[in-house]
Amino acid sequence: MATTARPLVSVKALDGDMATDAAGVPMPHVMKAPIRPDVITFVHRLVSCNSRQPYAVSRKAGHQTSAESWGTGRAVSRIPRVGGGGTHRAGQGAFGNMCRGGRMFAPTRIWRKWHRRVNVRLRRVAVASALAATAVPAIVTARGHRIESVPEFPLVVSDSAEGIEKTAQAIKVLKQLGAYADAEKAKQSVGIRPGKGKMRNRRYINRKGPLIVYGTEGSKIVKAFRNLPGVDVANVERLNLLDLAPGGHLGRFVIWTESAFKKLDEVYGSFEASSSKKKGFVLPRPKMTNADLGRLINSDEVQSVVKPINKEVKRREARKNPLKNAAAVLKLNPYFGTARRMAVLAEAARVKARKEKINSKRTKLSEEASKIKAAGKAWYQTMISDSDYTEFDVFSKWLGVSQ
Amino acid sequence: MSDDVIWHCIRHNHCSFMAKIETGIFCRNPYNATGICNRSSCPLANSRYATIRDHDGVFYLYMKTAERAHLPKKLWERVKLPRNYEKAMEIINKHLEFWPKLLVHKIKQRLTKMTQYRIRMRRLQLKVREKIMTVPRKKTQRDLRRLDKAEKAAQLDKSIESELKERLRKGVYGEIYNFPFKQFDTILDMEKDDLAPEIEEEEEGEIEYVEGDDIEMGDMDDMEDFEGFGDEDDILLDKMVTQYSSANCQSNLHKNIK
Repeated sequence: MATTARPLVSVKALDGDMATDAAGVPMPHVMKAPIRPDVITFVHRLVSCNSRQPYAVSRKAGHQTSAESWGTGRAVSRIPRVGGGGTHRAGQGAFGNMCRGGRMFAPTRIWRKWHRRVNVRLRRVAVASALAATAVPAIVTARGHRIESVPEFPLVVSDSAEGIEKTAQAIKVLKQLGAYADAEKAKQSVGIRPGKGKMRNRRYINRKGPLIVYGTEGSKIVKAFRNLPGVDVANVERLNLLDLAPGGHLGRFVIWTESAFKKLDEVYGSFEASSSKKKGFVLPRPKMTNADLGRLINSDEVQSVVKPINKEVKRREARKNPLKNAAAVLKLNPYFGTARRMAVLAEAARVKARKEKINSKRTKLSEEASKIKAAGKAWYQTMISDSDYTEFDVFSKWLGVSQ
Repeated sequence: MSDDVIWHCIRHNHCSFMAKIETGIFCRNPYNATGICNRSSCPLANSRYATIRDHDGVFYLYMKTAERAHLPKKLWERVKLPRNYEKAMEIINKHLEFWPKLLVHKIKQRLTKMTQYRIRMRRLQLKVREKIMTVPRKKTQRDLRRLDKAEKAAQLDKSIESELKERLRKGVYGEIYNFPFKQFDTILDMEKDDLAPEIEEEEEGEIEYVEGDDIEMGDMDDMEDFEGFGDEDDILLDKMVTQYSSANCQSNLHKNIK
């Protein structure tokens, strides 16, 4: 991964700079760090706690009375009541959270844990991730910055910017760089905060504009950009997650000076070499070097080994009951077929043999006698049909019977 | 960074163009071809993307490729589309020949829709349309309130009454009531002067007989004297008591009147 050629970032020259033929600055390794929104959300939330000021109700609130309970037997509730007389306050309930003028439930205390500690490595990883996100124009656009007119991303400016002293000049520089749209958006978004923050020294709110990062200590650039609403300035060596990912959202629009951009490698190191400024810190490795799943799946290497798609769906066979279904029994007991066949044949033979046996034992009627018998049977049939009233139409109607 | 990583950051973290409505999730990015927030429709999460946008009735085909992803100013390449629908289709086919079919299909659908609404818009321009002027709510509410107040202040009932009376006096209704007006007026004037009511309530000289039990005994002291007499003739005592009590009551009544 480290052997890939690092892209070169060209440095924007400001008006009045001497024309240089420099190829550009290679992209620092931090910009290739894995982008981890989950880490950043986590760290941002905890780190935001660290500038809190304690709040609490007064320690004595609600207890500055010498109230005592009247006990039972006075037809009043047992809450402690203020003693004495001659004033409205006498006999009123005190001390409870339900009483008027009583102390609140669980009075807030100043020894609440206000600050949170975060592991050093986690903090650094979050900052590295946030820096990587600032190099992706899609993420910066998604955050809401107006970067349509910015010529290149990440935006690196020549070091003459660090010598700017006047705010008017600073605005001119931003306009040259195409970054003024973002600063203007921040300026126009100034409004009064809704809610009680208004009267707690947080009266005005505005959107965030670009973050200017400079390299050399003590640059005048700080004062030049200080007064622009929404524009923040930071030194490379002290980059703050709360500035790089305001609100926990990745992708602040960052404008680098050349020296700052070059210093990034020193400050954050690379994936192999540890940083010189942060002892023992090596950039976090991503879980996948190539996260483009679509590309991976459709690549030749994978497709050549993959089995073809099986569109037919194999469903379960319905279970047949062997006690009822002959085919099911046959599967279990192959002999069943022959056994059944033999039984059937044996049965037929048996029936036949029995019949013959009976017939042989029966006394044979003479021919005459058998004729008489046959005639008698025929007469019986005619008698039945004659007495069959349902043949007659009238009767069938009367009976309501249909043949 | 790969498109999948970008999509994960956008969709599951935060995207300023995403608009979640009850009917669905939409994208307010002007370069979105469908308007829906989707993995395949997101102009930020697809490094190769195209749209059609409309500037003053002229349609342009915008295309972006991964090669220019790091140059935001030159990201979108613009091609003007002719007014003719078929020719525009041909141009799209030519430029997006080797692009994924789904995207090309969406773009063509978009072109169709846009031509249709362009036709409609141009037709509407020729017609006269009424413009809705809004009145600030404060004004309308204020006027309504003032209407109510004016109604109350006018005292319509009274003025109507007096007007009708005047007309009656003048005789506009032609003797529907037979009043001797002059006498009526003089009596009214007299009554104004006197003011005192003539009817009085008379209570003096009348004796009221009331049952003993119902009366409230105002003076309890009187009753105490008679407690010793309980042994003797009860009947006599009772009579005395009742007589005395009634007398007492009468005096009480007189007291009240005065």
